[in-house]
Amino acid sequence: MEVADHKAPTLENGQLADENADVLQFMDSMDAYFTLLHSLSSTLRQGWLELASARHSMGAYRVNTVLLDHTSHSAATTLLVTQDEGKVDSVEPRFTLCKWGSSSNEKFLGEKQSSQDQLHPQLRHRGSTQLSEEKTSSENKASCEIDDQVQKGRSKSLSVFGTLVSPKLRSAQLSFETALETLVEMANARSEMLYAFDKVDKKLGDGKE
Amino acid sequence: MANRAQIPNSNSALIAMIADEDTVVGFLLAGVGNVDLRRNTNYLIVDSKTTVKQIEDAFKEFTTREDIAVVLISQYIANMIRFLVDNYNKPVPAILEIPSKDHPYDPAHDSILSRVKYLFSAESVASGRR
Repeated sequence: MEVADHKAPTLENGQLADENADVLQFMDSMDAYFTLLHSLSSTLRQGWLELASARHSMGAYRVNTVLLDHTSHSAATTLLVTQDEGKVDSVEPRFTLCKWGSSSNEKFLGEKQSSQDQLHPQLRHRGSTQLSEEKTSSENKASCEIDDQVQKGRSKSLSVFGTLVSPKLRSAQLSFETALETLVEMANARSEMLYAFDKVDKKLGDGKE
Repeated sequence: MANRAQIPNSNSALIAMIADEDTVVGFLLAGVGNVDLRRNTNYLIVDSKTTVKQIEDAFKEFTTREDIAVVLISQYIANMIRFLVDNYNKPVPAILEIPSKDHPYDPAHDSILSRVKYLFSAESVASGRR
């Protein structure tokens, strides 16, 4: 009887700790959402200002939606959507931004690197210093190729508004890229907030019954 | 658990936009624009001539397309179709209300925050203490 009495408060303490953890998670994710929203507002304001400056210097007829490309083309910046494997009892998507095809680029370069390793297996028998130098240079080459791809993507996007564009338009492009990164973080914070909210709401509902 | 919906993993999902011209142009500069073979776009530019019906149709289309993971909508536009936005409750695509150039963000109107704010009401706190 004494053991059972001792166990009951421990169980209640455990449940209370779980509830507190859920509430804290909810509050943390909501705080993150608000912080990101504030950051997004600031970034968007900067982007709008730069866009207005570009329109002022280039002319309104050169920066408007009439010039948008209406032929069939795929988005260069996309999202990777996965399910959060850490939470098996709920549906919580995770979003990852792939700017200018960056994740597909990294995969392509990874495959290229492994195919080169297969063609030149004797590299593995060389000294460790030489190997590390070659690895560093191949990594540098890979990152340069990714940078080139990103720059090409940016240039192609800007080319809709002409060959020579205002530096303000380029700045606006970078600002909106930053805004996209913030938005993806907001989407993840939103998922976490809703997940935590569902847990807290469910426990409140169980408590009322 | 058996009725839990699964999120289809996607490695090239799109970001859709329902916003004013400057916001859409800015995000198109960042490379999110997509036009399919039928010339359907993943964005709707809202101006003074855009009707509420057009906005509703775009929202319904973007939230039912399988290739769209996030829908960005200016909050002042979301207010025009608030009933639709508030009744939307799927995890994907995620609906994000964003500020616009002429209409700052108001957390009181955000559909997600409206859904969770009742947790902070006096009634919910009192019922939790019983």
